[in-house]
Amino acid sequence: MCGICGIQRPEPGPIGRNLVDMCQAMRHRGYDSTGFALYGEHDTSRLILRLRLLDAGALQSTLDALEGSFRERGLSLAGDPSWDDARDAPDRFVRMLVTPGDADVRAVVRAIDDVAGVQVQSIGHSLEIVKDLGDAETVNARHGVERFVGTHGLGHVRLTTESIVDVAYGHPFWAEPFADVSIVHNGQLTNYYRFRRILQQEGYRFHTTNDSELIAVYLADRMSKGITLWDALRTSVYELDGCFAYLFATPDALGSAKDMFAIKSLIVTTVDDGVRLMATEEQALRRVYEGEVETDVPEPKSVYVWDSGGGVRMEIV
Amino acid sequence: MRTAGVASVTLDADDWPRGINFEMRRLADEGVTEIVVTNPRSRHNLGVGQTDPRVTIRFRGSTGYYCGGLNAGTDIVVEHNTGWGVGEAMSAGTIQIHGNSVIGTGASMRGGTLIIRGSAGPRTGAGMKGGTMIIEGNAGYSTGFMAHAGHIIVLGNAGESLADSLWLGNIYVAGEIRSLGNDAIVVEPDEAQDAEVHALLRGAGIDGRFTFKKVQSAQKLWYFDNRNPEAWLKI
Repeated sequence: MCGICGIQRPEPGPIGRNLVDMCQAMRHRGYDSTGFALYGEHDTSRLILRLRLLDAGALQSTLDALEGSFRERGLSLAGDPSWDDARDAPDRFVRMLVTPGDADVRAVVRAIDDVAGVQVQSIGHSLEIVKDLGDAETVNARHGVERFVGTHGLGHVRLTTESIVDVAYGHPFWAEPFADVSIVHNGQLTNYYRFRRILQQEGYRFHTTNDSELIAVYLADRMSKGITLWDALRTSVYELDGCFAYLFATPDALGSAKDMFAIKSLIVTTVDDGVRLMATEEQALRRVYEGEVETDVPEPKSVYVWDSGGGVRMEIV
Repeated sequence: MRTAGVASVTLDADDWPRGINFEMRRLADEGVTEIVVTNPRSRHNLGVGQTDPRVTIRFRGSTGYYCGGLNAGTDIVVEHNTGWGVGEAMSAGTIQIHGNSVIGTGASMRGGTLIIRGSAGPRTGAGMKGGTMIIEGNAGYSTGFMAHAGHIIVLGNAGESLADSLWLGNIYVAGEIRSLGNDAIVVEPDEAQDAEVHALLRGAGIDGRFTFKKVQSAQKLWYFDNRNPEAWLKI
């Protein structure tokens, strides 16, 4: 099953609370893991790192090692790192700010690679991915997702079908080494290994064997080669095989695409104050906007782009 | 709650995270003739498994998946939209939807009447085995797929692959048909069929004259024909 949702606000608002509510409304679609991609203030002077340290007992030594590794590469921490305070948890989720200077995201990733026991959840100027095992309120209780204020974001509740129940295999997926892109996917891809092999030959690295991670890297790679988000989404409808309804986010837009048969549900709407909502089930939208909503049910092969300026583009490709 | 002798009862769906359908049945058993459900908020499985023909259930808003599924006699009114599989496998009674419905509307229904005042989604009436479905708006792709019996009447347009692999169902479309499915053909309805369809529409409160295309099975798939295996290979 799985369930996906997205929100885009014209002004910064409580997207964390909204996405938790939407995901909790779709809890029955899967609670192996729940994840959120949250977009706050976009500031290119620093990178926000969302990391998972596998050994909570080695928290301080790992943080020291990370700081040392950053310093070696000319990167510096901007402010103190913060982490969750879940008792008895085997792992720790750390949020760090790094001043990249002239370095790119690849250099930051290499610095993290030198330290054992660290998984990257996201790196970006505005993006923060929070994902963990359990349903939306469980993840919220540990990570305080509801406190997050931002302009747009994605949410995902997971029923594991293609790979294992694991934090790293949960959605949303970030695409290394591109800052600020994220994806949530409902469905299964059957030809992901083919594109994955091509992308790996081009030097990309995947963090998991999950099929959905492919979509994030695939789209981000095309956009880095000058193809627009719109065209990348359109092409994906024919290049990707399987069943899918996915939402993709960049710092200034959300996009969606559906496969040829569109058996995976997606419902989209814009409510009174210009807030755009997308979700697998209508009852999730109604947790954010209580009144009756006029919804669109995207047709097979339809592609949407919602840009932060208020424009919407839709086409059946 | 004592409800004997009360004609109308209001249930707030927010107060019933579980068991609202059993409560509706209990109220009907006590002789309540109208149940108004407020705040349905697109929740799933509302009004499933109702059987009492003396009661009318009104949903003040949109419902989610499988609303009125397995209905065996009750009159159900949804005042806005519905989700997937509304009226699935219903055998009697009526369901009226004042907005739109999505995938699998009235799939496998065996009897009763399903009226959609807006448009219906894909696979509407798939595997239908009886009853009447009236869609005032458009019907999505694969409408009437493998229908065995019953009437699907579409006043708007029909999507791709209409009536694919139809058996004995009757499909009438007043608007345009984007494409026909495998083994489906369009014929002109005769006078008796035309009168029957207009009578069904009048029963649903729709007056006016419509010119229908009748879609029926060409019956090429009914029996295997080894001189024409291509038709079978397309299924």
